[in-house]
Amino acid sequence: MQSFTYVVQDPMGIHARPAGMLAKAAMAYPCAVTLTAPAGTADAKRLMSIMRLAVKAGMEVTVSCEGEQEEEAAAGLEAFFQENL
Amino acid sequence: MGFFQKLFGKSDAPSPAQPQPSAGPIQIFAPVAGQAVPITQVSDPTFGEKILGDGIAIKPSEGKIFAPCDGKIDMMFETGHAVSLASDGGVEILIHVGLDTVELKGKHYTIHAHSGDKVKKGDLLMEFDVEAIVAAGYDVITPVVICNSDDYSAIRPFADKAVAPGELILELEK
Repeated sequence: MQSFTYVVQDPMGIHARPAGMLAKAAMAYPCAVTLTAPAGTADAKRLMSIMRLAVKAGMEVTVSCEGEQEEEAAAGLEAFFQENL
Repeated sequence: MGFFQKLFGKSDAPSPAQPQPSAGPIQIFAPVAGQAVPITQVSDPTFGEKILGDGIAIKPSEGKIFAPCDGKIDMMFETGHAVSLASDGGVEILIHVGLDTVELKGKHYTIHAHSGDKVKKGDLLMEFDVEAIVAAGYDVITPVVICNSDDYSAIRPFADKAVAPGELILELEK
């Protein structure tokens, strides 16, 4: 399993648009991707699941990738967070 | 199957409380009054290019969002600008009131339902001040997005018409 943590910088948090972009980015990889936030854990390939966490600015999240291409997924998604959130 | 089971079996019993038949397309109804337009007409590419999923959009004429089907509120954003629901049949629906309206931080929105609430089609979920949101410089167009679009073989919008809350706007085929 590959994982990284990230503190959300976007002042609006992970609202609908970034949640959708994240789901799309996660779906590009075959491995399972989970997002863990203070409110719980979500399937990062499912928009509704991500939105349910209501991640706010300043919260620390952990992204875990497990399975095929987990290293590429972790690297790619870490870049996604840095660029978008 | 025994006679009584046939008579009272859940799957066979016509249930007036559930107008959605188990066979045939799944129907989603207008959550707000206004003009229904194809989702591709939404200027925000997140919606217009269907990044969040397929669906339809409504240009609201009245600032009231009603449940588009029976189901459960999955997530009422505390800003009120968006709400997601899971229908009793498993359709994941996002209603996003206006574009970039997360920036209003809840101003001009009044929440009437909360995450986890069970709702019936037509229940009032939220109110918003159309004029104030437009005056603040935002497009109030309201995309209604099927977040789990991939679970359906077809999503048919009924756009280019004025709709009242509760009118058919989307049909989904498994």
